[in-house]
Amino acid sequence: MSVIEVQDLRKAYDDVKAVDGVSFSVEVGEVFGMLGPNGAGKTTTVEILEGLRPRDSGSVGVLGLDPGRDAGDLKRKIGVQLQQVSLYPRLRVAEVIELFASFYGRAGVADHLLTLLGLEERRRAFVKDLSGGQQQRLSVALAMVNDPPVIFLDEPTTGMDPQARRSLWETIEQFKAEGRTVLLTTHYMEEAERLCDRVAVMDHGRIIAMDTPEDLVRAHFAQDAIEFSQRNGLTETEFASLPAVVSASIQGDRVSMFSDDVPASMAALLQLGQERGDPIENLRLRRATLEDVFLKLTGRTLRD
Amino acid sequence: MRALVQLTLANTREFVRDRAALFWTFAFPLLFVLIFGLVFSRDSATQYEIGLINDDQSPQASVLVDTLEAMDVFDLSRGGLADEIASLEDGDRRAVISIPSGWGASIDAGSPMSVDIHYDETRQSTQQVVVPVILQAFESVDRTLTRSQPVVRPAFQTLQSERLSTIDFIVPGIVAFSVMNAGVFGAVNIVSLRERRVLRRLQATPVSRLTLVSADLILRMILVLAQAAILIVVARLVFDIRLNSDAGSLAALAGVVVLGGLAFLAIGFFLGSFTKTEQGFFPVAQVVTFPMMFISGVFFPIEFMPDWLRPVINVLPLTHLAEATRQLMIGGAATIPMGVAVAAMAAYLVVFVALAVRLFRWE
Repeated sequence: MSVIEVQDLRKAYDDVKAVDGVSFSVEVGEVFGMLGPNGAGKTTTVEILEGLRPRDSGSVGVLGLDPGRDAGDLKRKIGVQLQQVSLYPRLRVAEVIELFASFYGRAGVADHLLTLLGLEERRRAFVKDLSGGQQQRLSVALAMVNDPPVIFLDEPTTGMDPQARRSLWETIEQFKAEGRTVLLTTHYMEEAERLCDRVAVMDHGRIIAMDTPEDLVRAHFAQDAIEFSQRNGLTETEFASLPAVVSASIQGDRVSMFSDDVPASMAALLQLGQERGDPIENLRLRRATLEDVFLKLTGRTLRD
Repeated sequence: MRALVQLTLANTREFVRDRAALFWTFAFPLLFVLIFGLVFSRDSATQYEIGLINDDQSPQASVLVDTLEAMDVFDLSRGGLADEIASLEDGDRRAVISIPSGWGASIDAGSPMSVDIHYDETRQSTQQVVVPVILQAFESVDRTLTRSQPVVRPAFQTLQSERLSTIDFIVPGIVAFSVMNAGVFGAVNIVSLRERRVLRRLQATPVSRLTLVSADLILRMILVLAQAAILIVVARLVFDIRLNSDAGSLAALAGVVVLGGLAFLAIGFFLGSFTKTEQGFFPVAQVVTFPMMFISGVFFPIEFMPDWLRPVINVLPLTHLAEATRQLMIGGAATIPMGVAVAAMAAYLVVFVALAVRLFRWE
């Protein structure tokens, strides 16, 4: 059963097509990721689903409700975390949670949520005294105050240190284990690979690829990647012409080269470095990632 | 209901935990009152100016005059009755004591005539301090004249002076001006919530816009009332200002303060819909409030303003709030009738609420 259904969704601001014909559906208990750089249309799509923005056209259903028409009913049932909300600075953590719980006619939920998000030590702290990561966790806690079956998380780990990020990932995995549905936007491919059952890769308001993370990578890269640094100023075309190399991309001084025959390509590469007088450094072999998929599909990195 | 209570609580906590907000709301207007009070009040002197008219040449009358003259707290002024009463009305005397002709003879005859004490009953400190001191003086004269029964029989002649002292005039103005500031600047809360995207986040919950605004209104109205009450009580205790302190006048005053507060909050909401940030809101609010503070009859009567400015002054909301507040606090002749002032504030409220609702943005 689909929790979220989106058909040919469109939304434009003046001349900019923020969402340009997006279709997807999310099943019960699924963690669905929307991956893409800033301005790809992820947030606009999510805010339309949450009933916060009107759409121009297309059909949208969340829990069987139309966010454009039944926003009031919908808001009672869903959990929402938004980007860049800076909550009441002089309220204490537990006070903010109880405030938001009251909007749903609930009370006494702070203890449970603080434990769940690892904030129990900070329950009496003022919001302004929380670290960026703690504020993010609080804002995820607020998405849980009404015990919703579906949760929208818009870049929930932005600004978190790696440890806090991992701990939030565990929390999201726990939501999933409880049978909740999660729609998550991110520009961290590692996050998408770890958490998401399926990802939609968005760029310029469109979904340019959608599948499980493994299948996306497999569909685009049969090969492993040879990754290294160079100071020779060689171009992507020059690397791509090496034996067995299928494609190559350069990001700063890091080069990723995909090869059908890794030993042959690597030998040729090392020799090329030798000839140019500046040896290849930091050479490693890795599996292709969603980042590579994105780069291949758009010519840009996720954080551009 | 639960949401309204929690939101009001949240706003209140945010407010009372913000020292700067507390200062601007309560201490700043109080500083105004104290500064103006110290500059303009004549009541700060420890000597009380008393008018004394002695129409009797008897020895008893001399004893009374000598006794009063010997008291350091009194600064006696000996003029004609009419002049002294006029000075009393102007606030230049605290009381006027008048010894009638034939008083001494009436004591000797065994049926003492009364000695009139005139004072302004609207001046609290006169009742509380000056009158008891005068009565004390009278008792000591009784003892001096060694009569078994009191001979100095006071007769209180009260009057309500028409003339106001400067501080009497200014305090209602400061009350009005504080209500304006609390209202207009109180709208910064919504601007700040919008800037910090909290409004957006609240929009994603089932809480209604009405609940959200009501919670804000409740706190703001409590604040304007508390602010006005503190200003008036302090001004009354420290500077003994004129105040119609009957329940009806006070209730009407509370009503006017709330109406004015709502009207100015609506104006603030309206201004707030044009500014994206809290930082951007303050200059706009200043531009609107600052000129009104000088021309709307807060610190000096609008009669002092040039004629060409009067049409402008007469439509400004602060003019109406200051007029209504002043009339309710100290009475006196109205420059603008009460009904007109209340109607004008109600009109501002309706128009700016409509505009603010229309211009409202979650983000």
